[in-house]
Amino acid sequence: MSEHTEHPTTATGQDAHDGEHHTNYFKIYVTLLVLLVISILGPEIGILWVTLVTAFGIAFVKAYLVIQNFMHLRPEKVIVKWMLASSLLLMGIYFFGVAPDVMKHEGRNWVNMAAMAVVERGIPLDGEHAEEDEHADDGESPGEGEEAAVVAETPFNAAQAYGTVCASCHGAAGGGDGPAGASTTPPPADFTSADFWAATNDERMFQVIKNGGASQGLSPMMAGWGVLYDDDDIRQIIEHLKTFRP
Amino acid sequence: MEKPLATLRSATGVPTGRLAVWWLLASEVVIFGGLLGAYLMFRLGHPEWANAAAVTNTWIGATNTFVLLTSSFTAVLAHQAAEKGDGVKAANYLFMTIGGALLFLIIKSFEWYYEISHGYTITANGFWSFYYTAAGIHAAHVIAGAIIMGFIAVAARKGKELQRVELVGIYWHFVDVVWIFLFPLLYIAK
Ligand code: HEC
Repeated sequence: MSEHTEHPTTATGQDAHDGEHHTNYFKIYVTLLVLLVISILGPEIGILWVTLVTAFGIAFVKAYLVIQNFMHLRPEKVIVKWMLASSLLLMGIYFFGVAPDVMKHEGRNWVNMAAMAVVERGIPLDGEHAEEDEHADDGESPGEGEEAAVVAETPFNAAQAYGTVCASCHGAAGGGDGPAGASTTPPPADFTSADFWAATNDERMFQVIKNGGASQGLSPMMAGWGVLYDDDDIRQIIEHLKTFRP
Repeated sequence: MEKPLATLRSATGVPTGRLAVWWLLASEVVIFGGLLGAYLMFRLGHPEWANAAAVTNTWIGATNTFVLLTSSFTAVLAHQAAEKGDGVKAANYLFMTIGGALLFLIIKSFEWYYEISHGYTITANGFWSFYYTAAGIHAAHVIAGAIIMGFIAVAARKGKELQRVELVGIYWHFVDVVWIFLFPLLYIAK
């Protein structure tokens, strides 16, 4: 049995690859390695655009080299390219359709409080982890050490918390005119209004911030933040709200 | 021995087996593309992830990139040998590629062991869940590729089904390309 009757597909396959036989694979391999070294060293410099170009730009170049020379996409029939292109197109539609909702945490009529809360909570840096772990490590599981690090490393800052979480509704200057509050009925409380302060008291504000507006017969649009802030944090936030008081 | 019609026929001008591999990869593009796209959106929306990404070890990632690039190189040499009808040489190159896959997995295991034992688990935060999901699905592809290459190499050694050497190669290069993007996304961008 000759090679050709046994492997007709190989024969056809090779037709498509004529002219590709002389690709110098070693040269491409060495080029890929050089690019790898550049993509590691580039970001070490620490300049943002150099990092972007060397890390991500070079990834595209490397992928292109592999796809064209190792996968032999170049001489492949056009139908294959259309197949791959439609997959990529679907990806593009998916990305640009979803990205605005995921990447932004608030829009004209909505706020993603959970995402904001996560950003606000932050993630301690590794170095801080390590230090904290040394103190907290004795026999404890690493997970607990980490928890301790989170609490110890981020002292609560009421103004910052207000800025990232509350301002979207209550306004950066407390005027109740934040972008996300524009369409709530009733509107967010206006901390710069004397009427507001006349109608409420510390205890009620505390309950509203901790357990939500509904707990005091107010609008549920004002969610409870007890999960994110402990009682002491909330008292600090109330002190911060008083700085808006006329 | 008679071969099934689908193996022999080629309505598109692309050998059916190879066309099938491209279809597979077209669907893989959506799987990995969706995952990496989602990662990108979250990463851009969550500046605090930089602190988590700072933990990943660039040198381990780079070593694994080197291992995969090298295994892609041996895979393409296997393809070259198969085209010349040299099944034994093709099989040897495939075994080297499998060696690369195993080395990659061993390095990955040590890396994960270290990270998990330091509390960076899949539930630690958003970054780490993407990290383990993306690299985990990729590692599953490495394992699958190594197993399939084992079967193909054994057959190729006997001079059988040499066209399959190219097919598994195309798949393997794709796995390499995915890693080429995972590397900067998970290791370099701090
Ligand atoms: C989704 C938008 C939104 C966000 C975010 C928000 N609030 Fe509110 N808040 C409201 C609305 C709406 C009301 C008015 C409820 C009513 O009058 O029924 C309100 C009312 C209040 C009140 C008045 C309670 C009272 O005694 O009358 C306080 C205090 C308050 N918010 C504090 C906060 C703090 C602190 C934060 C951040 C941790 C915050 N809010 C985040 C929408 C929001």
